[in-house]
Amino acid sequence: MKLGVLLCGLGRAGATRAFSSWPPHSPLTGLVSASELVGHWTAVFEERGIPEARQSSEYIVAHVLGAKTFQSLRPALRSQPLSPRQLGRIQELSSQRLQRMPVQYILREWDFRGLTLKMAPPVFIPRPETEELVTWVLEEEARRPHAGGVEGSPLILEVGCGSGAIALSLLSQLPQSRAVAVDKGEAAICLAQENAQRLQVHRRIQITPVDVTLERNWAPLLPWGPVDLLVSNPPYLSHQDMGQLAPEICSYEDLAALDGGKEGMDVIVHILALAPLLLKDSGSLFLEVDPKHPGLVGSWLQSRPGLGLRLVAVRRDFCGRPRFLHIRRSGPQRGGGTVDTSSRLQPAPVPD
Amino acid sequence: MRGRLLWGAVRCFWPRRAPGPTRRPLSCGSRPLEQLFARDGPLRTFLERQEGSAAGPKLAEVARLLSEKEQELRETESLLHDENEDIRKLAENEITLYQKEIAQLKHQIIFLLVPSEETDENDLILEVTAGVGGQEAMLFTAEIFEMYQQYAAFKRWHFEPLEYVPSEIGGLRHASASIGGAGAYELLKHEGGVHRVQRVPETERQGRVHTSTMTVAVLPQPTEINLVINPKDLRIDTKRASGAGGQHVNTTDSAVRIVHLPTGTISECQQERSQLKNRELAMRRLRAKLYSMHLDEETSKRYQARKIQVGTKGRSEKIRTYNFPQNRVTDHRISKSLHDLDRFMRGEDLLDELVQSLKEYADYEALVEVISPKV
Repeated sequence: MKLGVLLCGLGRAGATRAFSSWPPHSPLTGLVSASELVGHWTAVFEERGIPEARQSSEYIVAHVLGAKTFQSLRPALRSQPLSPRQLGRIQELSSQRLQRMPVQYILREWDFRGLTLKMAPPVFIPRPETEELVTWVLEEEARRPHAGGVEGSPLILEVGCGSGAIALSLLSQLPQSRAVAVDKGEAAICLAQENAQRLQVHRRIQITPVDVTLERNWAPLLPWGPVDLLVSNPPYLSHQDMGQLAPEICSYEDLAALDGGKEGMDVIVHILALAPLLLKDSGSLFLEVDPKHPGLVGSWLQSRPGLGLRLVAVRRDFCGRPRFLHIRRSGPQRGGGTVDTSSRLQPAPVPD
Repeated sequence: MRGRLLWGAVRCFWPRRAPGPTRRPLSCGSRPLEQLFARDGPLRTFLERQEGSAAGPKLAEVARLLSEKEQELRETESLLHDENEDIRKLAENEITLYQKEIAQLKHQIIFLLVPSEETDENDLILEVTAGVGGQEAMLFTAEIFEMYQQYAAFKRWHFEPLEYVPSEIGGLRHASASIGGAGAYELLKHEGGVHRVQRVPETERQGRVHTSTMTVAVLPQPTEINLVINPKDLRIDTKRASGAGGQHVNTTDSAVRIVHLPTGTISECQQERSQLKNRELAMRRLRAKLYSMHLDEETSKRYQARKIQVGTKGRSEKIRTYNFPQNRVTDHRISKSLHDLDRFMRGEDLLDELVQSLKEYADYEALVEVISPKV
């Protein structure tokens, strides 16, 4: 009964507050358990056309009860009544979901390969596919002869670090490694730094704002190199893709983290051009791209042999789409000079 | 040696011998196992036959040492009724030492004789499933799962839930957990089977006692070498599969389902927020299921005659009854009852006592098989 009053009261009062968009559902009466609450909010979300209605309500309720997923909540906790404070909190978070805010921003955290990272809009939310990019990098690292002996090795540079997911995962799995992470967005820099601190790897990583699409910005990067690994999940959506994004993404995530230009290749091409200047001989570049890109990247590299970059392998994600590229550099360290960063597929010779 | 010296000293000064007392029972060791070691019993005969055999020079040596120590113990025991208090005290100390040594030697013999299973060192997956009895069975299943979780903590084992399928009122339809640690599989493997509860259910209005059941399955976790799976034999289903995936989409549904195509075995997991972690956990369960199928073929012949079954054969055996009105738990395989059910369900020393007894009985059965003359 207390709960009924709580919910109704808010509904009636809510002219100016977010709760005014309270759907006309019969309020829950009596003591409510976690399971019942999930059922309630799932129905609410479904009615409002919120995608992943059940998952969203499960994550929110679990989070307020201190668990990461509803499935991991001990059975006993699922049927116990919740406190008014808990109910209020769930309502707060659920109303954010009604505004199509991504769950990761609502919870202000998400997991990536077993690490819990802080999330904050508009910094790009790591996607599950990218977990596999890290897996591949780790597999390749394990294959190398030195294998974890030397301090400071491997030296990793991440372009477009966002929340820091890739760099921080690598640092935590490669105890001797060091990293430099750059991003165009100030918010990303702040968030990545905070995550590095939380994970206690801040002493092994340097996080700096850099926009790699501007060549004049490259010079300050060069002293960090040459690096063993260059890794990136750069913006790779084409203009067409950008026009089909869900409200969760459009309204809350930094679109600059997604926009790859007309064909989605713009930022990729800049990274490819940058690679020879930053990578050691036999150093590797690992990229996540759109499934349309592996062929385009292959052609682009083939038409610029002077870069000394070779597409070594393409790997599929867990859904079978070709999404990851391994590019290797061979040749002596290059100095400055301009590089043709045109993404048009012409065999443009590279000036030395 | 010291015993002999003592005896020698005594003989000089006290020519009269006191009658030997009855042997004090060992604090460890179950009765059947102890009886196996009886003089002139089948185990002794077997050990004597090992002398000079290629099969066990080590075994023969330990057997010989055992006989020696037992002889020394018998000789010292006769001093317990000596008139001299100092001699009696010395004898008591000697006897305690001998008994310790003898227990160790017996354990060594058991260890050398009982073939260790390929799986004994492995981690395991524990699965609980509600059986007959509706909501009450599911409540009981949740309590048993909790009991094993406490037991794992008590033994300092690692316990990681993989799956929970709850009922509406706080019970469990099904759950599984990954458990790892020293001796975990060896001890828990005998928990597999049907557990029966007799009590007045929470949902019962007329105070009648009901009988409900639940099943425990214990699956050894194969190592990398134990079981090799070809990635091509697997189909991995995720919610990301439909649509473009990648940056295009933000989903939070990280549930994973893995299907082993050749056998149709399925394993699902949505315990974690990270899809990669869910995949790893689902693989762990799948590997355990496949391994269990593989092992069943091997062990079924060997275990046919035994009271204590493992693997899928044992899964339908009614192994234990928890009788709440009588505050008693009984394991039917060794006919052992323990009282104080609440304490038992806490998953600490009382459960441990039963688990250890079962292990000893299992060792006994294994030992009997080894030493019995082959027909």
